[in-house]
Amino acid sequence: MIGTVGMGLLALLALSIPVGIVLFLLGFGVDAFFSSFPLSRGLGNMVWSSSNQATLIAIPFFVLLGEVLVRSGVAGRTYAALDRWVSWLPGGLVHANIATATMFSATSGSSVATAATVATVAMPQAEKLGYDPKLFSGAIAAGGTLGIMIPPSINLIVYGFLTQTSIPQLFLAGLIPGLALALAFMAATTAMCLVRPGLGGVRRTFPLSAMLRALVDLGPILVLFALIVGSIYKGWATPTEAAAVGVAGALLIAAAFGGLGLEMLRLSLLGTVKITSMIMLIVLGASFLNFTLASAGLGREINAFMDGLGLGPLGTILVVVLLYIVLGFFIETLSLMVVTIPIIVPIVLAQGYDPIWFGILMIVLIEMALITPPVGLNLYVVQGARRDGTLGEVMLGALPYAAIMLAMALALIAAPEIALWLPAALE
Amino acid sequence: MERTWIDRLRRANAWLAIGTGAMLLACAAFVLLDVALRGLGLHSFGGTEEIAGYAMALATAWGMAYTLLELGHVRIDLLRARGGAGIRAAADVASMATLSAVVTFIAIQCWPVLERSLVNGSRANTPLETPLAWVQAPWLAGWAWFALVSCALTALSLSMILRGHAGETEAVIGAFAEQDTLQ
Repeated sequence: MIGTVGMGLLALLALSIPVGIVLFLLGFGVDAFFSSFPLSRGLGNMVWSSSNQATLIAIPFFVLLGEVLVRSGVAGRTYAALDRWVSWLPGGLVHANIATATMFSATSGSSVATAATVATVAMPQAEKLGYDPKLFSGAIAAGGTLGIMIPPSINLIVYGFLTQTSIPQLFLAGLIPGLALALAFMAATTAMCLVRPGLGGVRRTFPLSAMLRALVDLGPILVLFALIVGSIYKGWATPTEAAAVGVAGALLIAAAFGGLGLEMLRLSLLGTVKITSMIMLIVLGASFLNFTLASAGLGREINAFMDGLGLGPLGTILVVVLLYIVLGFFIETLSLMVVTIPIIVPIVLAQGYDPIWFGILMIVLIEMALITPPVGLNLYVVQGARRDGTLGEVMLGALPYAAIMLAMALALIAAPEIALWLPAALE
Repeated sequence: MERTWIDRLRRANAWLAIGTGAMLLACAAFVLLDVALRGLGLHSFGGTEEIAGYAMALATAWGMAYTLLELGHVRIDLLRARGGAGIRAAADVASMATLSAVVTFIAIQCWPVLERSLVNGSRANTPLETPLAWVQAPWLAGWAWFALVSCALTALSLSMILRGHAGETEAVIGAFAEQDTLQ
């Protein structure tokens, strides 16, 4: 059954049928061929109970928060402010790209929105100050991927929902690896620019007064992040409540900076509805496939399958990593995550791995998928914001950062504490 | 002719999407009020979780058709993109027809859920004791609307192809444009 479903998945996806619909079709297939009683009769109930979920409404709330911040021009201010703080480093503005991406990902939970925002505000600067276009654009593409790791992350909410794992715990587990990745990106940038100074543009220092003034623009975003994440960690608010607080905070910040308007609100709401339905069609399809696979006895099959392979826990996880790297060349993050959860997560858990740890490992791997060619959405987003140059330049520029992500994935396997220490310490 | 109808569908769904977004915004305000009351040490309403769940079910159902018309439902474009215009149009219509069939089946399967609530007079097992049919009726209507719009879109794009306008279907049912899709 595992092999059949896997092959069917790839074949149907290749036909360019919408991902959510592919998952439903596979569910029907499992029902028809592997189940002794008709499961599709439960379809209506399943669609109702999987969408009637207070936890999931955190998704539109976080999307709306990000939309508001991006459309009200807060992103541009953040970038300018971070430029004053980090441009003295070798690599200059490249650090501002990464830092802005990190801050935005920390509030909005979306990778593409983050990459698009930073690319739009940063690109004009790159040409003026003489940066190497490869490094500059690659850093934006890579920095943008942090959006799904640093909490609040929409992908972690979806993972938690589909695998019945605690979302606050996942958020805690993602914090250290996410920040470590951001720091590693900056360290690598510094190293590259020290070895080859031609890569980085003009290093600039700003007077202390300008740096302090920039804090006015940074402060509100930092407070918003602290409010959202702190209230979840402290147990004051559920992720849903924190997300609602975040929406209000984003609207306040937009209003304070004079970016709040009817048209901007209209576009933000439309964007939110579009992204929410896009995610939910895939989530509902995966829930249905989960349900049919479990009812058709996937658990037994997996044990037999793994015994047959005889890989052992470490071998299994390395095969899984390889699988995600290969699939990541072709499939995008959320789809990649959701279509693999029904099959891969039970396999991994059957080997005795921690579901929270695996959630974080999976996020690192699908972050990589965003910047590995030929299909890497962030690469296209960044290229779309550039006025000239080739996609190949962005791909090359992103490669060192993809290597860092792979190193992080291996580090997580070698030392699971990187993810699990914080949740355990705050327990 | 087809384009006129598709434009009408787009306009109608954009308004529905704004309504859906406004409902989400109202729900956020409601959750916020509840948090604020609790923070002040006052009694919260109770039932916020329940209402947020309903809002999510309704938003999911009613946003689907808008997302479809905005080419927002993710498709893996790898092989399709390598074909010529004819192959792309064929892949698009085939995938639209598949989607329509699956969504129509889902909408039909949603009816027994509402029917049972109506027959049994089911109420939510919560302090609010919401009659479930009140929420499930508009929820079912949302899925029925999604089914209706996707079938109409399949028929309209098929008609465009049959009348020799295959080149125009890409804008209507093509794989997602490079716009801001999540992640």
